Amino acid sequence: MALLEVEGLRVEFGSEADPLIAVDGVDLSLDTGEIVGCVGESGSGKSVTALALMGLVDFPGRVVATRMHFAGRDLLGLSDAGRRALVGKEIAMIFQDPLASLNPCFSVAFQLGETLRVHGTDEERASARVRRTRALELLQQVEIPDAEARLSAFPHQLSGGMAQRVMIAMAIACNPRLLIADEPTTALDVTVQAQVLELLVRLQRERGMALLLITHDLAVVAETVQRVIVMYAGQAVETGPVPEIFEMPKHPYTQALLAALPEHNVDRARLKAIPGVVPGQHDRPTACLLSPRCDYAVARCRREAPAFAGPTQRKVRCHFPLDAAGRPTNGWQREAEKIPA
Amino acid sequence: MNAAPAVLLEARSLARHYLVSRGMLRRKALVRALDGVSFVVREGETLAVVGESGCGKSTLARQVTMIERPTSGELRLYGEDVAHAARSTLKRLRPQVQMVFQNPYASLNPRKKVGTLLEEPLAINTDLDSSARRAAARAMMARVGLRPEHYRRYPHMFSGGQRQRIAVARALMLDPRLVVADEPLSALDVSIQAQVLNLLMDLQQATGVAYLFISHNLQVVRHIADAVAVMYLGKIVEQGAKVTVFDRPMHPYTRALLASTPKLRSAASRLADATQRDGGASRRERITLKGELPSPLNPPSGCTFHKRCPYAIERCRVEVPVLRRLGETQVACHRAEELA
Repeated sequence: MALLEVEGLRVEFGSEADPLIAVDGVDLSLDTGEIVGCVGESGSGKSVTALALMGLVDFPGRVVATRMHFAGRDLLGLSDAGRRALVGKEIAMIFQDPLASLNPCFSVAFQLGETLRVHGTDEERASARVRRTRALELLQQVEIPDAEARLSAFPHQLSGGMAQRVMIAMAIACNPRLLIADEPTTALDVTVQAQVLELLVRLQRERGMALLLITHDLAVVAETVQRVIVMYAGQAVETGPVPEIFEMPKHPYTQALLAALPEHNVDRARLKAIPGVVPGQHDRPTACLLSPRCDYAVARCRREAPAFAGPTQRKVRCHFPLDAAGRPTNGWQREAEKIPA
Repeated sequence: MNAAPAVLLEARSLARHYLVSRGMLRRKALVRALDGVSFVVREGETLAVVGESGCGKSTLARQVTMIERPTSGELRLYGEDVAHAARSTLKRLRPQVQMVFQNPYASLNPRKKVGTLLEEPLAINTDLDSSARRAAARAMMARVGLRPEHYRRYPHMFSGGQRQRIAVARALMLDPRLVVADEPLSALDVSIQAQVLNLLMDLQQATGVAYLFISHNLQVVRHIADAVAVMYLGKIVEQGAKVTVFDRPMHPYTRALLASTPKLRSAASRLADATQRDGGASRRERITLKGELPSPLNPPSGCTFHKRCPYAIERCRVEVPVLRRLGETQVACHRAEELA
C-alpha cells in the first residue's frame, strides 16, 4: 500500500449551485522514497491540491474525495486535533515565497523551536535548550553558513535562498514521511534554485521521504522527479514516468507545453505558442477543457468529456491520445473546416 | 554576412552609484549598483542582459531609459551623449527609448481604459489631434493582436498575457528605436510566454526596433538575443555574440549560470540511465555555486566573484580583472585562458 493514496479528489469554492471547481477528480499515489512532480500553469489547481492534502482548505471551500488515505489513516474523517497532530509532523509543506511564510516578528530559532515545541519528542517539548541545539543542527543540515549566528536572525535579515533553507529546516524538523514543496524555487535566482533543489533531493534520499514537488517549470521536473502529473484547469490530463512523458507525451496539452519552450525551438524560429488562456470559472468549456485551445480538437471533443484512462502508471485524458510520433490515434481525422470557438 | 548594422546606443564605462542610509548614527554607504559597464546596441538587434537579482540589470535599464542620470561614464544614443545632455535634449531623445516592465498587473493604470493608455504617450509627446491619436491606437492594437472592442476596456478585464500585449503596444506607440524590456516574461505562464515572445520577435521584424532585453531566463535569452552581456554585481563579466557565449562560455560565472539552468534534455539522458531506479542519483553533475550574491554594500575585494568561484586563486582575491577581448568574446577573468 502506498504512503499516500488519493482518489477522486475534488475541491470546490463558492455556492453549491454554481461552484468553482478548482480540482476535479485528481488521483494521486505516492510511495515512501518517491519524488512525484505536479506541473501546470497558474489556475490549474496544483496548489489547491496540496492545500487539500494538508487540510488547509477553509470554509467556504469544500473538499471531497472517494478515498484520501495517508499511511493507512483516512485524512477526510480526521478530527481537528488529529489533523493538527499529523500536519507539520508527518506531512510537512514548503511554500513558494519563503519571506512571506516566515513570521517577521520572531527569530529563526524561535520559529524552528515552535515546530519542535508542538510536535517534537518529550525532551524537545520540555526544554528550550534542547530545542535550540536541535534548531542549530537543523540549520547545519540545510547548509546555512554560519548557522550559530543565523539562529538569532530575523527573516528580514535573510536572503531569499537562506529563508527558503530555513523553511526547509522547519519542514524536516520532525522527520516527516511526506514533504510537499509548492513552487519551492520559483522566487529564487537560478544558481540558488540549483542549490535548493539539490538540497531537497539530498534530504529526500537521506531520509527516505516521499516528496511531492509542485512547479510550473517543466525543466525542473525533468531534472528532479520520477513520476509526474500534468494538470490543466483542475484536472489531471496526463501522468507517467518522467523520461517517457517528455519523450513521448500522449496528451496534446503536454505536447504543446513542451513545444512552447524555447529549448525546443532553436534559433529565432517562432515559438509554437498555445493560443488563448487557461479557462476561468465562467468560460469553462463543456466536454474536453482543452478543446478550444487544442490543435487536434474535433466535434467529439466539444461534445463529450474524455475519461482519464490507460494503465495506472500512464493515464491520459484524451479521446485521441498521441502515439510515439506525436500524432493523434483512435481513428482521429481532421475536420474539414475548423469551427471557430 | 552583411556589414553590422549601425550603432544605436553605446555605453562607455557607465556607472551609477547610490548613497544608502544605514541608520541615524552611521555613515551613508556607497552602493556601486552599476560599476563601469560598456556595451553597444545595434539597430534592429537584441542585446540580452542576464544575471541574478541584485546584479544591476534594472539600474542599467533606468540609465538607458534616461529616468536617471549616470554617476559617470558616457551613454550615447545616435552619438549624442545623454549622460550629460541638457533637459531639452533629453526631452527630445526620450521618445526614442521606451520600456516594457516586468509585471503587467502593476504597470498599467487600473483607472484608465486601454485606449487612453495607448494614446497617452501621443498626447504628451506629439501634437496629433484626438482622432489621429485614436486611429494610431487602434492600428497598434491590431498589430499586437488585440481586438478592436478592447479599446474601451479596463486592464483588469484582461489576462496577464493580454496585459503584457497592452504594455508592449504602449511602448511602441511613439515608434521608438529601442525598447528596454525588463523581465517582460517572468510574470507569465509558459504557454503565454511563448505568445509574448513571438509577438516581440514579430514586431522587431516589422519595425526594426532594437531590444535591450533584461532577463534571468537563459533559455528565453538563447531564443531571442543577438548578443548577450552577463552581469555580476554591477559589472559585465562576459559579453559577446549569443552563439559564442552559449557555446563556449569563458567566465566561470557564465558557465555556472548555464549549468544551473534546468534543462529538459536531462530527461532524455535519464532515459538512457533507466536501469538506475533512483531518480535523484542520476541527476547530472552540476557546477553548483557556493553561497549567494554578496551584498553590494560590502563587495568582496579583487574579483567580486572570487568567493563563489571554484577556480579562484590568490590573484583573484587582490586584483580586479578587467573586461578584455579573448577570441570572439569579452571576458573579465584572470584565468580565462587556462580554463578555456
